[in-house]
Amino acid sequence: MNLFLQQLLNGVIIGSTYAVIAIGFALVFTVLRVINFAHPDIFMVGMFGGLLCATYVTSNFLVVAIASALSAGFVGLALERAVLRPLRGRDTLMTLIATLGVGIMLENGVAALISPDVVAFPAVISRQPIDLGAVSISRPQMVNLLVSLGSLAIVSYYVRLTAYGRATRAVAERPDVAAAFGVNVDRVSQVAVVLASMLAGCAALSVGLLYGNAWAFIGLAYGIKGFICILVAGNRYFEGVILVALALGILEALITGYLSSTYRDAIAFLLLIAVLYVRPNGLFGSYTA
Amino acid sequence: MTPLLSVSDIHVAYKAVPALSGVSIELFEGEILVILGANGAGKTTIIKSIVGLTDIQRGGISLRMNGSSHDLRKLKTHEIHRLGVTWVPEGRQLWGTMTVMDNLRMGGFAADPAETVQRIEEMMDWFPRLRERQHQLAGSLSGGEQQMVALARALIARPKLVLMDELSLGLAPLVVAEVFQLVKKVNALGVSVLLVEQNARQALRIATRAYLLEVGCVVESGLAAELATKRSVQDIFLGGHS
Repeated sequence: MNLFLQQLLNGVIIGSTYAVIAIGFALVFTVLRVINFAHPDIFMVGMFGGLLCATYVTSNFLVVAIASALSAGFVGLALERAVLRPLRGRDTLMTLIATLGVGIMLENGVAALISPDVVAFPAVISRQPIDLGAVSISRPQMVNLLVSLGSLAIVSYYVRLTAYGRATRAVAERPDVAAAFGVNVDRVSQVAVVLASMLAGCAALSVGLLYGNAWAFIGLAYGIKGFICILVAGNRYFEGVILVALALGILEALITGYLSSTYRDAIAFLLLIAVLYVRPNGLFGSYTA
Repeated sequence: MTPLLSVSDIHVAYKAVPALSGVSIELFEGEILVILGANGAGKTTIIKSIVGLTDIQRGGISLRMNGSSHDLRKLKTHEIHRLGVTWVPEGRQLWGTMTVMDNLRMGGFAADPAETVQRIEEMMDWFPRLRERQHQLAGSLSGGEQQMVALARALIARPKLVLMDELSLGLAPLVVAEVFQLVKKVNALGVSVLLVEQNARQALRIATRAYLLEVGCVVESGLAAELATKRSVQDIFLGGHS
């Protein structure tokens, strides 16, 4: 029973990180109708932004988190202005290849400037575990969970309760009508890309703290999982994406706990294939490109 | 008298297919102008061109607002809305996954938030059914109710000019009569209306002036009452009798 509860908790923690990445993909797709394949590498930039701040400036957690968010957000802003906006209205394949190219540039740029190898992350927070009775949680795990849940809460608040969030949903469903009611579609898209990037940056910091290291090529592993989540859930409802991400995290943790981590990734892909076979638009429906 | 809206010799094509070939129309402040035409005549393209949603190849569109003239071809769609132009699109085009209330709030996206709240209340007085349905998803409403939301949404921001595209499409005859009465009510408040319609009989009854469009060209224009008696209009749109 203890193993089950422990793996359940571990699953929620990793699933919540997948959820933040998946929501980033979904947020950008809903307004721009493109898959931003640079998103996982923006996540990685956030991780290194935090690492550099913790190494050379301060190890104060809040400052490091802000550095992670700002570095990822800045790259997101540059991507929107230099790539996504000029390519709006063009073939989606062009944007897809362009974002993929930016992602590769970011990976190799960080590898060349900092290191192509795994780099140790400074100890910004203590690694002491917190005993919760049947289960225990380390402080980095707790931070990871809180950062992810906080990020999801911010996205939910933004999308559901702010005027810009409403405009984001309006652009997602009918961009022309939204523009005809005064919505600056470029501005809404820019806010969506920057918000998705900043939250990915925070999530990356918490992953870096959790595993105690950073790697220029880490984006791919998390990006694929986040991408699977939006394919399985569909991109229409953010709540659906979060639910699938948590379910995927829990499934992976249970497989790791009861079988072997060898099967973990295979099962994620099997889940994707099975769902797309039955529901090609995802479990909760999709906006199409 | 200077027109509020002036469309001058515009040419629009979708890829290689011409949709408008040298269309010119004028709309004066306070009037209901109707554009009649069959499917594919280019009526919706005129409206989309006014709000900046087509690629105009030639010609110009200007709007006279607050004493100055604005070249709409130089403005983006959201900027045109901010001049006081709103749109009731063909098929309503509500945000179906959003609630009725959120659709109405979006109508006032560019307006002062406090005034939007007040305007939503006014619109709910106009359309009491919307008050009952305010928390319901707009996509789940009946056609008539959706048309009420589309009209209310267009009126939230106190527009000077409302572009209405095929208001009667897909509505029951009783609802159609009600909708046209609403257009008159909107106009009586000083809002100019450009109405694009296939329901010529009803549209000509409420319109000040009318244009008749055929395959992307204006073929007739004049006072609505006069146009209603013209044989060409009667033959095409009024079943051969007025």
